[in-house]
Amino acid sequence: MTITEQELTSLAASHDIISLGAIADGLRRQRHGTNATFVRVAEIAADPSAPIAIAPAAGEARIVGAPPTRAAAADRVAQVAASANGVAVSGFSLADLEELAAREGVTLRALLEQLRAAGLEIVSEAPIDRLRDARRSIEEVNIAGLALARVTIHQPQSTDPMSQLKTVAELQRAVAVIRAFAPLPRRVNPAVPTTGYEDIRRVALARIVADNVPSIQVDWSLYGPKLAQVALTVGADDVDGVSADDDVSQGYRRSPLEEIRRNIHAAGYEPVQRTGRWDVLRAVDELTTQDERSR
Amino acid sequence: MDLEAIASKALAGARIDRAEALELYRRAPTPRLGRLADHVRAHKHPDRIVTYIVDRNVNYTNICVAKCNFCAFYRSVGSSEGYVLGFEELFRKIDETIAVGGAQLLLQGGHNPDLPLAWYEDLFRAVKQRYPAFKLHALSPPEVIHLSRLSQLPVPAVIDRLIAAGLDSVPGGGAEILVDRVRRLLHCYGKATADEWLAVMRHAHRAGLRTTATMMYGTVETDEERIEHLLRLRELQDETGGFTAFITWSYQPANTELGGTEATGVDYLRTLAIARIVLDNFDNLQASWVTQGGKVGQLSLAYGANDMGSVMIEENVVRAAGASYCMDEVEIVRNVEDAGFIPKRRNMHYEILGDPIFRDRDVPRMLELATARAAGDTHVPDELADYEARSRAGKQLRVIPNPETAAPRTCSAGTPPPRSAH
Repeated sequence: MTITEQELTSLAASHDIISLGAIADGLRRQRHGTNATFVRVAEIAADPSAPIAIAPAAGEARIVGAPPTRAAAADRVAQVAASANGVAVSGFSLADLEELAAREGVTLRALLEQLRAAGLEIVSEAPIDRLRDARRSIEEVNIAGLALARVTIHQPQSTDPMSQLKTVAELQRAVAVIRAFAPLPRRVNPAVPTTGYEDIRRVALARIVADNVPSIQVDWSLYGPKLAQVALTVGADDVDGVSADDDVSQGYRRSPLEEIRRNIHAAGYEPVQRTGRWDVLRAVDELTTQDERSR
Repeated sequence: MDLEAIASKALAGARIDRAEALELYRRAPTPRLGRLADHVRAHKHPDRIVTYIVDRNVNYTNICVAKCNFCAFYRSVGSSEGYVLGFEELFRKIDETIAVGGAQLLLQGGHNPDLPLAWYEDLFRAVKQRYPAFKLHALSPPEVIHLSRLSQLPVPAVIDRLIAAGLDSVPGGGAEILVDRVRRLLHCYGKATADEWLAVMRHAHRAGLRTTATMMYGTVETDEERIEHLLRLRELQDETGGFTAFITWSYQPANTELGGTEATGVDYLRTLAIARIVLDNFDNLQASWVTQGGKVGQLSLAYGANDMGSVMIEENVVRAAGASYCMDEVEIVRNVEDAGFIPKRRNMHYEILGDPIFRDRDVPRMLELATARAAGDTHVPDELADYEARSRAGKQLRVIPNPETAAPRTCSAGTPPPRSAH
């Protein structure tokens, strides 16, 4: 399906989000069929004194927060890697790492290589609107032997949301290593949150505009099950941030795995659990059946 | 059955039957269902106006003998957490409502055996005496049935007395799913059977009242039973034309005896859409942002809704079951306009009252919905002493001196004298 620039402009300005979503969903189905992937994440604070708990169900152990120093970052990575038991270790915002490298007078590549040597496999996110030099920094991630989990948008750009989406597509044309793009902003003004239309339009347009990025991702914990589920019907194909804790205190049916499975099914897709390395674990229905049998 | 044939029928404005509705609901892709619903919405509301009401959702008591297993709000008779709001408290809530431009209370509560019909009549009269133009959208059908049983008067007589006291319209609560198999499983068959719920609405419509209709889905019902619910409403609307609007929401499971999970956001949008298509004789469908959140609430406008419901000001029932979303008038209007619609204030009859109030004058922002009472406030209103209690706990409360006033209970200043015979 080819969409002209004029059609794109018209779609972006339209309030007909169902038609826009249907176009994006068509493109998404061409790439991913009926599969909707998700990753279960164990989040670990960057603070060296915080406890490290990596649930067995985790597909990714993610260090969150800005490290205070280069040494602290490397120490924390080493601590987490030692506890990861084979789970992919990810961490940090590339923008924070840029700042840290500049603050400590080292090159970004040197910092990234140090973190890789400590056990880091994946840089968690590259917020394009916070990076000083997005293309160069992402290339440094690649050269340092690390993967990039996702390109993100830190804050929404109120004037022209399309320009951020086009920037991601252009960036991918240059670096070709962006596996996933999470187009919904990580930070919103709580007094004026984004609306459902804005979010859905942004996800759909991201699928259409960033057609060279394999996955459009939505964050389960940040945006909540309802919005994340609807996003799956308008172009998103991957869900990030599903809890790795198998909390069944409120009943099996309300456990994170069952909840994501139920939501993906209800959206009309097949749930597929993946790791932070994008390895498919098992089809979730198979997983659920086995878990049920073992109880 | 051919989905396209059914869709064509709906697009042409023809009525779809039970089997066709079920087929659409189960098999139509979500965008297709949404487009159909949006087409019906656009046909009924070509002006792109989306309405909302500024009113307050007040629950006058949480004491309830119905014990529905899906409800997290009720407290049993004698519970230390039980409450009944006093007339003065209700007047204060009305004052606050008027201050932000509201002109109506949505007044519902538990089936409290210690509140006789006279309490309601006195309350309504007192409200109308103080606030003659203020509207009372009050007492869902199960509450009316409860009062009928308590007073041993037939439902039409209860409705007539409530109208005489000041009742303006009847909210559609307590419908849940209008299928008795479901109602038995939810322990709400006793409070009102499907036929009884519909009969109260029929009586209310015949008495000249307008009412709303609701559906709470996502408990134990089947898809067929959801469609059955819609068809029963459509049938009564054909007969009376008394429903102004339909509101559906998903069961909120937290803190309930029934437990389980909440239906998903896509389930909600599909259910809303099929309701818009099936309920071809209903003009208005509300978005339930209070259960779905503002974002899916706004998306409802693309799936058949033409109304954003109420700013609410206060909410207790859904909050008790774990959902606590808030949208004040500014937020509702922002969402309506962002979706490409024109926001207008309305009354219960869906008559347009005007543009957003906050554009005319300063209205304080509301970032959290109020509750019936502050936590820990367990005081018993003085005027309750003037009404006969039926339960042992209620009788005891009436003889224990009120610790807050440390004086014999009398009517507070401003409340009317109690009726001579209760």
